[in-house]
Amino acid sequence: MPSDVDAVQLRGIGKRFPGVIANHDVDVTIRSGTVHALIGENGAGKSTLMKILYGVQRPDDGTITIEGKDVVLKSPTEAIDAGVGMVFQHFMLADNLTVLENMVLGAEKLHGIGDAARTEIRRISDRFGFDLDPDVLVEKLGVAARQRLEIAKVLYRGARIIILDEPTAVLVPQEVEALFVNLRELKDAGNSVLFISHKLDEVLAIADDITVMRRGTTVGTADSHTATKRQLAELMVGSELPSPETEESTVTDTVELSLDGVTLTDEFGRNLLTDLSLKIRRGEVLGIAGVEGNGQSELVETIMGMRIPSAGTIKLGDQDVTHWHTRQLREAGIGYIPEDRHRHGLLLDAPLWENRILGHQTRPPSAKGMWINRKGARQDTERIVADYDVRAPGIDTPARALSGGNQQKLIVGREMSGDPVLLIASHPTRGVDVGAQAAIWDHIKRARRAGLAVLLISADLDELIGLSDTIQVILRGRFVGTFEPSKVTPQDLGTAMTGGEAA
Amino acid sequence: MSTATATSTKRTIVERLTKSWLYIGLIGIGVVSFVRIVTDTDDLTGAGTIRAAIIATCPILAAALGGLWAERAGVVNIGLEGQMILGTWGAAFFTYHYGPWVGIIGAAILGLVGGLLHAIATVTFGVDHIVSGVAINLIGAGAATYLAEAVFPDYEGGGPRQLNGLEAPTQITIPGVSDLAKDVADRHWFFVSDVASFIQALTTNISSLSLVMFALVVVSAVVLWRTSFGLRLRSCGENPQAAETLGVNVYLYKYIAVLISGALAGIGGGFLALVSSSGFSTGQTGGRGYIGLAAMIFGNWRPGGLLAGALTFGYTDSLRLRDTQSVHALLLLVALGLLAFAAFRAVRKQVRGALVVAVIGVVVMVWFLATDSVPREFTVMTPYITTLFVLALGAQRLRMPAADGKSYRRGSAG
Repeated sequence: MPSDVDAVQLRGIGKRFPGVIANHDVDVTIRSGTVHALIGENGAGKSTLMKILYGVQRPDDGTITIEGKDVVLKSPTEAIDAGVGMVFQHFMLADNLTVLENMVLGAEKLHGIGDAARTEIRRISDRFGFDLDPDVLVEKLGVAARQRLEIAKVLYRGARIIILDEPTAVLVPQEVEALFVNLRELKDAGNSVLFISHKLDEVLAIADDITVMRRGTTVGTADSHTATKRQLAELMVGSELPSPETEESTVTDTVELSLDGVTLTDEFGRNLLTDLSLKIRRGEVLGIAGVEGNGQSELVETIMGMRIPSAGTIKLGDQDVTHWHTRQLREAGIGYIPEDRHRHGLLLDAPLWENRILGHQTRPPSAKGMWINRKGARQDTERIVADYDVRAPGIDTPARALSGGNQQKLIVGREMSGDPVLLIASHPTRGVDVGAQAAIWDHIKRARRAGLAVLLISADLDELIGLSDTIQVILRGRFVGTFEPSKVTPQDLGTAMTGGEAA
Repeated sequence: MSTATATSTKRTIVERLTKSWLYIGLIGIGVVSFVRIVTDTDDLTGAGTIRAAIIATCPILAAALGGLWAERAGVVNIGLEGQMILGTWGAAFFTYHYGPWVGIIGAAILGLVGGLLHAIATVTFGVDHIVSGVAINLIGAGAATYLAEAVFPDYEGGGPRQLNGLEAPTQITIPGVSDLAKDVADRHWFFVSDVASFIQALTTNISSLSLVMFALVVVSAVVLWRTSFGLRLRSCGENPQAAETLGVNVYLYKYIAVLISGALAGIGGGFLALVSSSGFSTGQTGGRGYIGLAAMIFGNWRPGGLLAGALTFGYTDSLRLRDTQSVHALLLLVALGLLAFAAFRAVRKQVRGALVVAVIGVVVMVWFLATDSVPREFTVMTPYITTLFVLALGAQRLRMPAADGKSYRRGSAG
């Protein structure tokens, strides 16, 4: 039941943080009963804008009009009262509470916290096909179910305008399809949806209207029926989107890393990894696809010597390195881009040149005998900053002050130094902007041409298909399928990743 | 279909929990009874011992409950000890002037002041919870010593470091039950007499404040798990950012939780001054705030669990006040407990853990068989050693509130 009054009008919104202008002159109009997509690169200011609309942060300038009424949103409570609900990119759920508890939290007055609430949750769940059981702990739910719970939470509060912040980032293609079915039902029931994304295919598939943001402001709108990917991409980045495509094969016959029957058991005797075997040759990129939490992290940690496999052997070149320590492995020439650069890759409060030393503390140029070589490390950091285009005020800047993309480029530069023979790259472009992504892809491609063996783990299926020479799919700690990147589609991979028929 | 499954899972969980608690309780009493008969130490479950155990349990229980409230809201309150010390002084001062019940309220208020300090530091200013807690322990001890020296020497029965002769809260005896239970307990039958002496202790000259403490466990459980207030409070300890996005005033709930936490610790201090001994003396908490915290952790941040933890610590604490014979018998109990735990682990295929525990169990068993008594010095250490053992062995699959001890700033959601 689309009405004539627009669901949301944002006019001239501006928001400044110390040293950063997050939003300025933002204008967005969401028509009632439509799916409206807001697209833009990472750091374009989409998330800040959404937090303003949801009352988490207050705008410095501009007006918000919801269903014809001017509103000032001082807190999420007021946004909820105005009919706005938000599903955050990082889910706002308490793992140790049940579905019911998460659902009624903050809205206890509506249906209490007992059976009436349970009935209402079942009603919403059945109406939109969410398949939620009120009495299950949230930690038992998968990613897609958590997202459905988040949407149900918003509906439970009677929201008519639903904001979804990059909802598909964590889903496999099949789950995205299911989500879109849910969204269309929401739309048919008269709700308005604001869908934030930077995946253009998805935007074109689901949205009615599109607004593009770049550098903190809205730079244009488009009609999803007539717009093309190319137009949107150009609006988003001001130029053609980079693609991760590889050139001709550089695979050689020399095996650099081989795993044979590697099995890893946890303290309770459950298998985290079961009988994994693989070979990576010099000049080859082996991609690992899988839904997160299916053993990728454990596989990387096992190869890196952080976990000891309970069976099987790991060989680097001709040497059996199954029981080597991490430092020995690194000294033997393994570079490692960890999946979470904040937790594993960097000391955020240490300067760049100290971060350069991490993992290289025993080798020149960072070390001289048993001493740290300050001068050498600093010089080499200057080299990395220049060669890898790390945009930083200087090498004494703390790593925290850099953007995600520049932090990642520093890590890539560090791991590529000292002529590694094997690079383990875990989500190398996660959370970095398009420019840095292209640069990192270039570095990986160049290293591959120079004969580096690469183990690439990524949740970005386009990246896997574009960079890899072979793709292995991992599911519950087992390899369940091998694919040729030139012949596989993201849908095929998605099927294999979720345990469907492997090709 | 989904409805049916949901209710049935719910029911089985409830059944399993109540049943397992019941079984563990029954088996526990059986083992203790067995040890009592084997070692011929009737004191092990004598009504006197259990009475002492209850008295030793209550302050620990109060501190544990205090810890539960604060940590469920995501604030680690290691300042419980300091708040307890403040409570001992408050209880003494107010009891001297206005009688024991006002004294307890006074203890709660003094503890609450300690909690307020902790809340201001950790919630408003984002100070590290441990740093703030340690500071409160120092402040609490210092303030109580100072106040005692400044006020108590002028009082009757008072001195710079103590105030004696305080009136205790009423003691309750249920006439018929008490005598009957004593009668059965004195026969020293297997199992039955042990249960009887437990009943005897609960119905004969039990302090009304002890009953209040046990009631507070139930009240806490109901408030925290069965009301929307409790749900909001717990959500602040699990994911304050999520709570914020749903319109929960996280700062307010954390404040309330830490204030209640301090007040409970204060009441625990009051119990020490009025019931455990009939007077105030400086330093009489003796680390019970920390043991309370340990009991809460052992109890997996749950009311029933922390009650079990507090009883364990209280029981061992009371044994040390009795003779060395009982502590010697306790060795057998510990050995059996360890071996049972080892078996449990072996069943779960945790081979290495099972071996370690089994070896320790055998060593304790050999110690028991090879000796007739334990050194006096050892008996004084029992509660602390128990703390160490229980935490090291039991605390391996615990689930603390997810955001416990983490600093939270408003506006950090998303």
